[in-house]
Amino acid sequence: MPSLHTKETKTMKRIIAAVSCALVAASASAAYPDRPVKLIVPWAAGGDTDNIFRPFAPLLQKHLAQTVVIANVGGASGTVGEREAKNAPADGYTVFAPHDFVHSAYYTGVTDVRYTDFDPICMISSTPSVITASPKTPWKAWAQLQADAKARPGQITVGASLGSTSQFSMALVEKAAGIKFKYIPYDGLAPRMNAILGGHIDLTDSNLTQKSKVQAGLLKFIAIMSEKRNPEIPDVPTMKELGFNVVYAVSRGLMVPKGTPEAVQATLATACVAAAKEPAFANSMTLQGTEVRFLDRKGYAQFLKDNDALYKEISDELGLTKKR
Amino acid sequence: MEIIYTQLFGSILDMLHFKYLLPLLFGTIAGVIGGALPGITITMTIIMVLPFTFGLDPLQGLAAMTGVYVGGSAGGSITASLIGIPGTPSAVATTFDGFPMTRNGEPGRAIWVGVWAAFLGGALGGIFLIASTGPLAAVALEFGPWEYFSLFVFALSMVAGLVGTSITKGLLSGAIGLVITVIGTDPIMGVPRLTLGTDFLRGGFPFLPVLIGIFAFAQLMSDIEKMRRGAGGVAAAGPTPRLWVSQAKVLWEILSRPFLLVWSTLIGVLIGVLPGIGGSAANVMAYDQAKKFSRHPEKFGTGIPEGIIASEASNNANVAGSLVTIMAFGIPGDAVTAVMLGAMTIHGIQPGPLFISQHPAVAYGIYAAYLVSLPLMVLTIAAGSRLWMRVISVPKSILIPIVLVLCVIGAYALNNIMDDVYVLLLFGLAGYAMVKLGIPLAPLILGLILGDQIEVNLVRAIANDPNPWLFITHPISGGLLAASVGSVVLALWQHRRHQQRAGMPEDEDNDF
Repeated sequence: MPSLHTKETKTMKRIIAAVSCALVAASASAAYPDRPVKLIVPWAAGGDTDNIFRPFAPLLQKHLAQTVVIANVGGASGTVGEREAKNAPADGYTVFAPHDFVHSAYYTGVTDVRYTDFDPICMISSTPSVITASPKTPWKAWAQLQADAKARPGQITVGASLGSTSQFSMALVEKAAGIKFKYIPYDGLAPRMNAILGGHIDLTDSNLTQKSKVQAGLLKFIAIMSEKRNPEIPDVPTMKELGFNVVYAVSRGLMVPKGTPEAVQATLATACVAAAKEPAFANSMTLQGTEVRFLDRKGYAQFLKDNDALYKEISDELGLTKKR
Repeated sequence: MEIIYTQLFGSILDMLHFKYLLPLLFGTIAGVIGGALPGITITMTIIMVLPFTFGLDPLQGLAAMTGVYVGGSAGGSITASLIGIPGTPSAVATTFDGFPMTRNGEPGRAIWVGVWAAFLGGALGGIFLIASTGPLAAVALEFGPWEYFSLFVFALSMVAGLVGTSITKGLLSGAIGLVITVIGTDPIMGVPRLTLGTDFLRGGFPFLPVLIGIFAFAQLMSDIEKMRRGAGGVAAAGPTPRLWVSQAKVLWEILSRPFLLVWSTLIGVLIGVLPGIGGSAANVMAYDQAKKFSRHPEKFGTGIPEGIIASEASNNANVAGSLVTIMAFGIPGDAVTAVMLGAMTIHGIQPGPLFISQHPAVAYGIYAAYLVSLPLMVLTIAAGSRLWMRVISVPKSILIPIVLVLCVIGAYALNNIMDDVYVLLLFGLAGYAMVKLGIPLAPLILGLILGDQIEVNLVRAIANDPNPWLFITHPISGGLLAASVGSVVLALWQHRRHQQRAGMPEDEDNDF
């Protein structure tokens, strides 16, 4: 019996060894991705961010050769989705689709999750901000707006998601021009549009998606915060032309939880480049008034670092920074 | 004006082409099913339809989405009437009289009053939509923070009409609803409130899991209790349920109350035009109004057709209202129209003030899809009616687990996070406890819908101008506040008269 027992044990050991070898081999050889990838968009379907990643996801899927499923995880200014992405396993099967709120939300204390909790994969788009005025305001151009703002400090109302990108952009304008606005909380572009069309707020940060309202005379574009004029709205001057060094755009990209294996990150990055270079993507971005702006892993990492420092500075100046 | 109707007529004919009719029909069927399944909302159904629309031409996609919207708004009433659980948030008030009617042995009547009210309310709303998109949209622009604040206070004053037998318990329920909205990240600055430092509470209590939890769990638990008491495995005990009804009789029940129908439709359209709360508030407001104008308000809640008509006519008219702001300004009024807008943007159509003149084929196509989907909705429900009706004869021991599973899936699918499922469980228990204590559930839901909106608009108004008198001196705002006072006084008077007539408080209505 003892011999048999030993024999059995040996056999068992062999089987275990064989099985574990097979498992190791399988996990090494099973090329990522071998199952669907979840893309967390931290806002509701139909919003600006969702509209950018909806046409992007099928292209990413094509180049990743694996299904990409968009999961809208909304709530608390994008931070619910951000936390969900951070807590996901770092295996490349959960990808996070953020924009610049990751910096502002951290400094204003909405969340403890920081951009450094993720590894950057690629940046894909950049949506320049446009200073937009209500039709009920008297200004025809920036000069009149500036003069009025100097005459009535703190009285011109700006609709913004407080502590988020739409306030930060206007804060940069305030700082550069030496004027003071009054911020009224309107979370999201849709409610801001309703308020500004009715004249309940004077100004807001919007983007080229609102172009048709300007053409109809229901809104006024005052200035665009990009380096050069946009061919879609050639009559709208840049802040730079007007003599203010204000360049602001909302940038969107892909990130994965920190610690995702290098090989997986590389695979995702390769697919992302290919997807972002598709003419179909460029086309759908143009239709939405957004520019394709591609940055690779290294470039995006540097961008995030610089951007983070900028947001900290504005947040401090606005007195929005939360002590930790 | 004539050009509009020529164009519209042409679009309706186009819509009847196979190319558009098929996606529209598919959308309507998906909508009715999604709307009827508790926990699966219209928004979720429309997001599921969204990827299919990328490959289609824009109008085909939008036709499918319009079908989902219309079908879903009506589909919610099926579950509301048959098992007492609102299939969608906009069918909450349908449960108040629809389910009692089913219990009285008339499930067929409950369903068909709901369906025809939805059809007629939707059609009337459609006429408003087409004939007066411009003026209606102009009304919406007049609403600044003061007006919104007062509107939502007015809506909240309807709690007084929903208190049931005890005013104290009703107010308590409404207050709980308001307090729930305070928990989590605040809507202005994103500051965490009452979160006890936990991540779970940071996200707050999202509306839908709370709604499903409160209604579904409470309803299912009381059904389980009845099973144990040996009322039989079959749902509708008592009189044999009558499944078949004369359609002419049902239609007459609605058409003989033209004022109710038109008033409910108007409320639906107006709430739809004003972004923010949508169908979830419209149906409760219309129900409350119907009760206030009624000559026998005490009968509301016992299974009378008026309650169903008010709720269903208003929530379908609300669909038309939400389409107005998209047509006029390209601004989404609710989550569903936001997804529709997204679909248009992806196709490169910029909805906005020039939308109708720049893309007449698409704009009138949406109107046409809306009008054509109404009869399709009726046909869909008629075709499936054998199936719907069978739901009530399914033994509860089979039905209840299925419904519970659907609720959990729905709560998860909303934001794709498990926390929402825990919220569902928590509020399931809370809802059951409230039913046991005789606290009505409807005021809580109203508080929950309105809490954030009241807060946000109050802060906006004060941030704009700290003068509190502006709430009264702005004419629309002042008028709405006066109406709120009137609404409370009238409700209290009706309540007192009812109790005096009854001689004593009636036995507790355990459902609401």
